[in-house]
Amino acid sequence: MSAATVSQQENRAAGLRYKLRLAFRDPTTLIGILAALLFAYLIIVPIVSLLVDAGRVQFGDERRIGTEPGAWTFYYINRALFSPISNSLFWTPLFNTLSVAFGAILISLSIGGPLAWLISRTDMLGRRWFATALIVPFMLPTWTFALAWSTLFKNRSVGGQQGWLEAMGLTPPDWVAYGQFPITVILALNYIPFFILLFGNALRRFDSQLEDSARMLGANSSTVAFRIIGPMMLPSLMSAIILAFAKCIGEFGVPYVLGLPVNYDLLATGLYRSISSRQTGVGAVLAMAIMMIGIIALLVDARVVRESRKFVTVGQKGAMARRSSLGAWRLPATGFAIAIFLISVALPLLTLILSTVMRVPANFNISNFTLDYWIGTNLEFVALRNGILLSSQMWAAAWNTLWIVGTASLCSGLLGLLVGYVVVRTPIWPLSAFLRQVTFFPYMVPGIAFAAAYLSLFAVQRGPIPALYGTAAILMLALIADQMPYASRAGISAMMQLGKDPEEAAQVAGAGWFRRMLTVVIPIQKGALVTGVLLPFISGIKGLSLFVILAVPATDVLTTFSLRLIDYNYSQAANAVVLIIAAIAYFGTVLAQKLTKTNLADGLGS
Amino acid sequence: MPTITLRNAEKSYGGTAVKAVRDLNLEIGDGEFMCLLGPSGCGKTTTLRMISGLEHLSSGEISVGDRVVDCVGTGTFVTAEKRGMGLVFQSYALWPHMTIERNTDFGLRLRKVPKAERQERVEKVMKTLGIDKYRDRYPSQLSGGQQQRVALARMLAVNPEVLLLDEPLSNLDARLRLEMRAELKRIHEEFKTTIVFVTHDQWEAMTLATSIAVMSEGELQQVGSPNDIYDRPANRFVAEFVGSPPINIIEVEDRNASALAGLAQSYFARTYPQIDGIGSVGMRPEALGFARDVRALPKGAINGEAVVTGVLPTGGSWIIELLTQQTKLFLTTHLPPQVNDGEKGFFYAKPEALHVFDAQGKRHIGADIQLRGEADPSAEGAAIRALA
Repeated sequence: MSAATVSQQENRAAGLRYKLRLAFRDPTTLIGILAALLFAYLIIVPIVSLLVDAGRVQFGDERRIGTEPGAWTFYYINRALFSPISNSLFWTPLFNTLSVAFGAILISLSIGGPLAWLISRTDMLGRRWFATALIVPFMLPTWTFALAWSTLFKNRSVGGQQGWLEAMGLTPPDWVAYGQFPITVILALNYIPFFILLFGNALRRFDSQLEDSARMLGANSSTVAFRIIGPMMLPSLMSAIILAFAKCIGEFGVPYVLGLPVNYDLLATGLYRSISSRQTGVGAVLAMAIMMIGIIALLVDARVVRESRKFVTVGQKGAMARRSSLGAWRLPATGFAIAIFLISVALPLLTLILSTVMRVPANFNISNFTLDYWIGTNLEFVALRNGILLSSQMWAAAWNTLWIVGTASLCSGLLGLLVGYVVVRTPIWPLSAFLRQVTFFPYMVPGIAFAAAYLSLFAVQRGPIPALYGTAAILMLALIADQMPYASRAGISAMMQLGKDPEEAAQVAGAGWFRRMLTVVIPIQKGALVTGVLLPFISGIKGLSLFVILAVPATDVLTTFSLRLIDYNYSQAANAVVLIIAAIAYFGTVLAQKLTKTNLADGLGS
Repeated sequence: MPTITLRNAEKSYGGTAVKAVRDLNLEIGDGEFMCLLGPSGCGKTTTLRMISGLEHLSSGEISVGDRVVDCVGTGTFVTAEKRGMGLVFQSYALWPHMTIERNTDFGLRLRKVPKAERQERVEKVMKTLGIDKYRDRYPSQLSGGQQQRVALARMLAVNPEVLLLDEPLSNLDARLRLEMRAELKRIHEEFKTTIVFVTHDQWEAMTLATSIAVMSEGELQQVGSPNDIYDRPANRFVAEFVGSPPINIIEVEDRNASALAGLAQSYFARTYPQIDGIGSVGMRPEALGFARDVRALPKGAINGEAVVTGVLPTGGSWIIELLTQQTKLFLTTHLPPQVNDGEKGFFYAKPEALHVFDAQGKRHIGADIQLRGEADPSAEGAAIRALA
């Protein structure tokens, strides 16, 4: 070796040493690496394990397939996709899922789009009030409305308390009571706020000067609408559609309540059925399908959003949002908004509330009203002997909800901020990119598929990790992973907004890393931290799909408790529990908005 | 107090070949008020951040006194918090969740200065900067100028040996800026701190600095006193960047380039045949004169016919726009001009006021030579730079 190459090697070694010293000059990188490992385990490993499940012989199937458990096989994929029963296992649920999703989006778009415009760009009466009132469904669990629907329209083909219409002597046909029609309508009502929020936001930001410039050059209203406003609004509209679609795909509660009685399966309920009948292999195939649809939708969305970025710089300074005058249409427009409010908020909630205080459905005599289902004792004819507020099961479930979801939310809020910090600060960009993407990944995986993945990974002991199924830990881990997209996004954007300067100022003043975290970063990010904990908490308590797969009676939470009451056909109590959940979710959201002075809509688009 | 030395300092970002700072050698002496001056994107802020330790080098070395603080070759890197410097950010970067007083005493608390001394020092620096009455307010309740003072107070409170300032005046209005300039100059004299100041504003640099380092595209162009920079620019970039209205440049490399180029070439061929390879000639606006009559022209001056195309008052002085041989020239004067638009006459510049650059334009090669104009051989004016 010549002297030149030796010194070259020394130079390289010194350079490497220098880089290492820089990378580890503060704990950011170390924390980043630990976080990356944690999320690889919480997010990537379960999904890989699920994929593997779909391709290997599951325990209990060895005789049917004729090989050892764990051997590679196409049996499940075959069974789900090509076998004689593939129709009822996969293709029909897939078709149902897609037709429900498209139908729901079509309805919610055609109602939510005009409402968004009315609220953000016109002089409709009571715009401010509607802006809040119409997004209430967004804060409630989706199947609240499914329960309200079945309270009203349930017919005699299912046992338990009658629906109101049936009680009044009108038997609703099955297609009104169950299956595709009600599921589509309920999901549509649920996604209207989505369009009001996302599309309305884009409309609000649209600069009237752009419109004016076109007018000055001689464009008439339709040219302005089709050539200027339309093209600029299209990306955000597309984005809203796709996000609603992705949410629709994983929807579990609504089809469970309204589809199961007539065997109307969606992919999510099919998956639940497979898992509860111990067909984990087929369940894995279904979960994969749900995941694939979610991923495709989100990739399309990413593309659309990237397109729309091109428009972002337009209309920054002097942006004006002018409102059109509705003229003679002002009252009809207001009437339309009121009608939607009544149908999507007032009527369902009122129905649910009344159903919990009436003995016999649809009998409005004073004597028929009772508070027994809430606070009664020694009830003879229903599944619980005491009213719901006096039931120890309810309080156990509430306590479980609080501490399981609370702990998970606290962890994900802190982890989110930490991820945000590392992503924004680490000098090692692959680490930053990996963390950013891995924490966002669960967003593409509907909760029910994710729950299936967790079940597949943690059902048995693996290495040093004991079997977690049946413990609260599995719920917490799954919740944390499921909530990371929101938490990390919140953390990243908070850290981006903060910028480097305040921290660097402290650094120059002589503060080491821990001191900077404690005295500068965390105090400034207090608000972001609160949101980062509170929002996952709200989505966690109203969430159903994770729990329905992963919870056992010992870890019953409010949502699964309510679901069980439905199974017992004790709908008054089920409705009461859902109302309790809705109240917590609603007031929690309001509190979060008050505390942080933010708008729900801002956190949605990201 | 220490001298800051940068040796062959280089910085590139994200493995790209583009260098934000290239082969920078700079010495900042004890007690100096050094301005890093250049257009945006020239690497001046990067240089400042490398000195502070917030940014690391890609190659080269930085030392403060005898202590090497950053050296890629030996793998040494002292983090910003251990360098004991002060840095005032362009955005001020006040901590929004702390009162003015807590912002100011942050550094002293970190250094565990006893309470009595801490209070005394904070008091003093807040009084000096006139922010003591806002002590219990939060940064968002202060105006830009007040925030700027807090940012300064926060750094001065710990009495750093080196104070780094990153365009701290750029967000202030004109009057406040003037006030703060005076304040900074006073602070420099009072605290005897070494100050490194980044700015793109030439007047700020001229009025404040004891020496100026002009940078362009990551490269150091010239280091010198403000007068050096203005009167003896090392190259065309410096000559053109400093001065407003900008220096008048005549390209003479190709005599056919313009009629004025031909004029200048024949002037130099006639008067200074010993100078070879002239690329361009610069004339500061205030060194130009205008004469109505050919007989009023000073001897030995370069001159040519010109038409007045505009008289622009700037308050106390005037800019006169001249058109000569299809080339526009700017002339400034502090005497009320006795000319009108469209008037014909002659422009002239005395030989000692000419700046001569070689064909490479930017780069300065060759030594000073004295141009011996017939007009005044012993002119005390600036030396003229040219090829020997």
